Amino acid sequence: MLKGVIVILLFQLLGETLVALLQSPVPGPVAGMILLWLALAIKGGPSKDLSVVSHNLIQYLSLFFLPAGVGLFFLPPELHQYLPALISAMVAGTLVAMLLSGWLLKSLARSPDSTQTRTQVRNPARNPADQ
Amino acid sequence: MDAIRGLLPHNFLPDNFLQSNSLPSNPLLWLLLTLACYQAALWLYQRCGRRAIVHPIATSAPFIALLLWLSDIPYRDYVAANQLLYFLLGPTTVALAIPLYQEFHHIRKLALPVLLTVLLGSAVAALSAVGIAWLVGANRLVLLSLAPKSVTTPIAIGIAENIGALPTLTTGVVVFTGVIGTLLSPLVFYLLQLRDMRLQGVLLGLNAHGIGTARSFEIHPTAGAFATLSMGLTGIFSALTLPYAVRLF
Repeated sequence: MLKGVIVILLFQLLGETLVALLQSPVPGPVAGMILLWLALAIKGGPSKDLSVVSHNLIQYLSLFFLPAGVGLFFLPPELHQYLPALISAMVAGTLVAMLLSGWLLKSLARSPDSTQTRTQVRNPARNPADQ
Repeated sequence: MDAIRGLLPHNFLPDNFLQSNSLPSNPLLWLLLTLACYQAALWLYQRCGRRAIVHPIATSAPFIALLLWLSDIPYRDYVAANQLLYFLLGPTTVALAIPLYQEFHHIRKLALPVLLTVLLGSAVAALSAVGIAWLVGANRLVLLSLAPKSVTTPIAIGIAENIGALPTLTTGVVVFTGVIGTLLSPLVFYLLQLRDMRLQGVLLGLNAHGIGTARSFEIHPTAGAFATLSMGLTGIFSALTLPYAVRLF
């Protein structure tokens, strides 16, 4: 467990340092994710320990957004007049964007070179940690 | 505080305990309440067969807001008490590299459709939200704060600061969008007759960022990996383009 935590925190630190050096708009954790992905590609896969820690963290991804979500109920009073605009933008805007991007994705993925791979999705995953 | 006292049995706590105000001002109480509310919401979600409509964030966030309002705790104190959860968002983002690596052989086969959809879809996500809010009559600050609505929180906060939006409003908007996108996803998949879980993952990651990605991992690890990819690409693409796009308006 601890080994996995050390690897993840190390790559987050690497990512944040790299982003600070390059003055990039990409956040440190995302840079850390890319660096860890590269390291896994070079090393040829995660250790059992790293897989377990990663799985446990991802399982609670939604929870980590909860404090920020509560904030929407405590907007500064001067923004209350814009609540109808905010809510309609979030609800209708998301529905429109999902339908458009879904339609686009479905049309693009229907091209011949990607349909033949569709049957392979049910194959057992390459890594035993998936089962 | 009186509201909480009213919920407890008579003489449940010694009088001086409440008078000293030590319980509601203890940050541990609010971290514990967040975890307990989420656990209860998760239980409800599982009991209802993981239907999107009872997503644990959609049920626990209003409940916690009500508790804060009843006990007169300022939101900023609540945020301070839950720093641990904010912090864990960073390592969890890094941890997404593992499923992304393990499922990469699936992703490579769909790389071009996913890339094109994310490029166009992230622009549509920002434009549709800003356009609708502009029609309904929002001011510039609100419009700017809505632009990164489908981008995962850490990236969205960075974008909000860059374009002069209100980061606290953006954070709330982002989480609410993630919940709405997840709630709407069964309807969207039905309307489009979209049954390929890889494509479902892409849509959830693109429009509902981390919350949609968490939902995708419940569908299947492969869907989760696709959601991770499209969430990451949407975030990076928006971080690179939005600061320039807002200068046009």
